[in-house]
Amino acid sequence: MNQSVLDVHQLNKIYGKKSEKQFHALNGVSFAMTEGEFVGVMGPSGAGKTTLLNVISTLDTATNGSVKIAGTDITTMKQGQLADFRSSQLGFIFQDFNLLENLTVYENIALPLSLQGVSVRKIKPAVESVVAKLGIESILNKYPVTISGGQKQRVAAARALVHEPALILADEPTGALDSKNARSLMETMVHLNENHTTSIMLVTHDPLSASYCERILFIQDGKLYKEIHRNGTRGEFHQDILDVLAQFASPDLG
Amino acid sequence: MLLKLSLSSMRKLAKDYMVLLFGLTISIAIFYMFETLAQNKAFLEANSLISSIIFVFHVGTFILGIITVFYIFYATSFLLSLRQKELGMYMTLGAKKHKITQLMFMETFFVGLTALIIGIVVGVGLSYGIAELLMWQLDFQGGGFQPLYPSSLVTTILFYIALFFLTSIVNAWRIGRKSVLDLLHSGQQQDQVKTSGLRTFLGVVLSVILIAVGYYAMVNIAELMEFGIILATVTIIPGTYLIFISLLPYLVKKLKQNRNLNEKGINSFTLGQLRFRMLNLMMVLGTVAMLIALGLGAMTAGTSFYHNIGIQSSMFHANDVILYEPNNSEKEMLASMEVTKQQEYRYKVTSEGVYFLKTDLESDPPEVMTFEEGSEGFSPTTPNATLSEEEYTLYGGEGMPELPGNWWTAISTELGAGTMFGNRSLFVYGASNYQEVNGEEHQVILAQVDDFTAHLTQLELLNASQKTLAEKYTGNQVEQLGGKYSNYVALKGFASGTIFMGIFLGIAFLMMMASVLMFKLLSSAGADVDRYSMLRKIGVRKTLLVKSIYRELFLLFLFPAIVGIVHVVIGMQMFSFIIIEPYTKIWIPLTLFFVIYGIYYFITVQMYKRIVLPKQV
Ligand SMILES: Nc1ncnc2c1ncn2[C@@H]1O[C@H](COP(=O)(O)OP(=O)(O)OP(=O)(O)O)[C@@H](O)[C@H]1O
Ligand SMILES: [Mg+2]
Repeated sequence: MNQSVLDVHQLNKIYGKKSEKQFHALNGVSFAMTEGEFVGVMGPSGAGKTTLLNVISTLDTATNGSVKIAGTDITTMKQGQLADFRSSQLGFIFQDFNLLENLTVYENIALPLSLQGVSVRKIKPAVESVVAKLGIESILNKYPVTISGGQKQRVAAARALVHEPALILADEPTGALDSKNARSLMETMVHLNENHTTSIMLVTHDPLSASYCERILFIQDGKLYKEIHRNGTRGEFHQDILDVLAQFASPDLG
Repeated sequence: MLLKLSLSSMRKLAKDYMVLLFGLTISIAIFYMFETLAQNKAFLEANSLISSIIFVFHVGTFILGIITVFYIFYATSFLLSLRQKELGMYMTLGAKKHKITQLMFMETFFVGLTALIIGIVVGVGLSYGIAELLMWQLDFQGGGFQPLYPSSLVTTILFYIALFFLTSIVNAWRIGRKSVLDLLHSGQQQDQVKTSGLRTFLGVVLSVILIAVGYYAMVNIAELMEFGIILATVTIIPGTYLIFISLLPYLVKKLKQNRNLNEKGINSFTLGQLRFRMLNLMMVLGTVAMLIALGLGAMTAGTSFYHNIGIQSSMFHANDVILYEPNNSEKEMLASMEVTKQQEYRYKVTSEGVYFLKTDLESDPPEVMTFEEGSEGFSPTTPNATLSEEEYTLYGGEGMPELPGNWWTAISTELGAGTMFGNRSLFVYGASNYQEVNGEEHQVILAQVDDFTAHLTQLELLNASQKTLAEKYTGNQVEQLGGKYSNYVALKGFASGTIFMGIFLGIAFLMMMASVLMFKLLSSAGADVDRYSMLRKIGVRKTLLVKSIYRELFLLFLFPAIVGIVHVVIGMQMFSFIIIEPYTKIWIPLTLFFVIYGIYYFITVQMYKRIVLPKQV
């Protein structure tokens, strides 16, 4: 059960070519995640959170360091394998949604299933069950341009969850949601996490959303800065998170 | 300030502006090319087999004008789509609306004028290049053709200035009408096309009626004449656009509603791509179909005229080669061809007359072309009248009977004796009388070959040496000998102008067709890049993306080709009163078209792939 699902070792990411001005977005980040874990990532804007997710999800390549997912070093995988891996094993909720504006909400959500060759008979119930959890049943036939920001975010979440992937990478999935909708999205994720042993890595600025996690990694300037575990209730964990965030704010930390 | 901002962003969009300029430039160049022919009345009248050619070109100008108007409106709306998000942004920052509309007007007009200048230069260059190439290929002098034709220049400039003025106003008006929010979201908005079953049904019925009337007019062009051409024009063009407007959205909708199809693999995306810019798509496909019809039609008509020469020259001659007094080199030349039938006849020549030996003619009569009632036309037969007298003359007189029935044709046409021997009288004598004629005896060979047009080079040489012989007999310069080859050369002289026009216009229209398709792809590529990168992010294999591109473009290429080709096949009926068999060898231009179109499809797919597919998947 306690197999490692993700093993990140000494990850570096430098933007910009050698000749240009370079920027170190990730600076030797190392951590591991066991199967079924629910990990949060927090840190100030520009800290490198999205970069970290992109490298883990194989969308971007690391400058050096290794990323192992379920024991396989993804840096050695072939292009086609990576694509298959992303479509079957990963669910990605992007910070900027990334919905296809030429497809309806329903078609957007159904796409990962279609791509995996799931039979048409099974697609509809799967889509309907996930949209019911996220409360977006009424907009299924609309196009992305005609729905609200929060609705878009939930559609993006539905698309990432619909095929019940082994690892969900979520980049601020609750950023555009009110607290009620944020809570129901988080509960959906917890449900998946507990009932389907889906591993989840969640980037968020919202302490309340973060309190659903079992463990929080704090990142600053591309480095792992602190790590806290949830020992008691969610309420207590919420308080712990707020405390750490308060330290961030204090200037003496540098 | 706004102008400065706008200029700097124009620089950023340089690639897109290049695409737009390319699209406009080709259209202008082609229009000009067409006009160099259409307005050069002297050239047309001197070189056409079609009597109402001036009128045909008037109608052609009208058709091309309409297609161009559609296309230019479509192309300049691309400019609108490029700029509206940014202009909307300026408005949220406080720019006044009338400033924005003014800016849009100026920009459209400016881009149009730039394209006009480049387009004219390209048009003159193309006219010159293509005309030179064709004249060389067709061995056609083409006197009077001018690649730089002032009145065509003026027409093109005036037409496009008016058109750009109009599109500028429309662009400005369209941007003025939209709210700031619409402008900001314009890139993501789907075209709204209503598709109720009844609407589609009525649309399809109407377009079928229109096209049917047009086809009727084309098939019966011999009776309807100029009215038929006008009728075909005003029915087929709207019919063609209408068929795409009514059927295409309906079809895509139906395909999308088929869940088994839509929810399989990447199909939903492929179909979504087709549906997203449906209004543009309908315009583009209608335009492409019309251009294929015109281009392929002109090309096919041109080649038909070409094949017609062969057919027409065979109409009056059963035999392909006549060799009087054949020398060795002539005999060798003849042996080098695939001879299917060869006959020899003896004759004697004196200073007054030529005497053919009757027994030779009777024992192996030459074939002549005769028209048989009820049959398709002329067919080769042997003369049926018996030659009971001992002496005949060709034209009567001298107390002798005239040659009966087809024998007359055999001597004058098949043996071409009239032109060979100048003023000498022609006789056919029985054996004993022939003996008494005091003249040199010679031989003439008549031959038929398997494929006349395949041996044109040899036939030309034989014709030349026979001409020398004829000049020896007549003592004069001989312009044209009798016989099939001379006839062929004469007909070719008449037809080559028409063939030239057909192929010249064919190339022009097909080039424009290619540029319209290319423009459609390039102009939507920008937005597609984002979509393909999103697909990559959710883990779509590259092979699947490529497959989607192949399919999407295949449909784009397929629909207009079908419609265009049907137009062409029916349209060829228009020439049936002037071309004997308009459909002979029609497969040549059609196959050529399919091959080139297919290659073009693959090139387009490769280009599009390079543009839209993410670098690393
Ligand atoms: N493609 C890129 N090229 C150069 N620099 C980049 C690129 N993408 C991100 N950066 C820089 O890397 C740093 C980390 O970016 P990243 O997007 O990972 O931040 P983040 O932690 O997700 O921030 P936020 O919470 O605001 O989303 C930032 O300073 C950013 O400017
Ligand atoms: Mg981020």
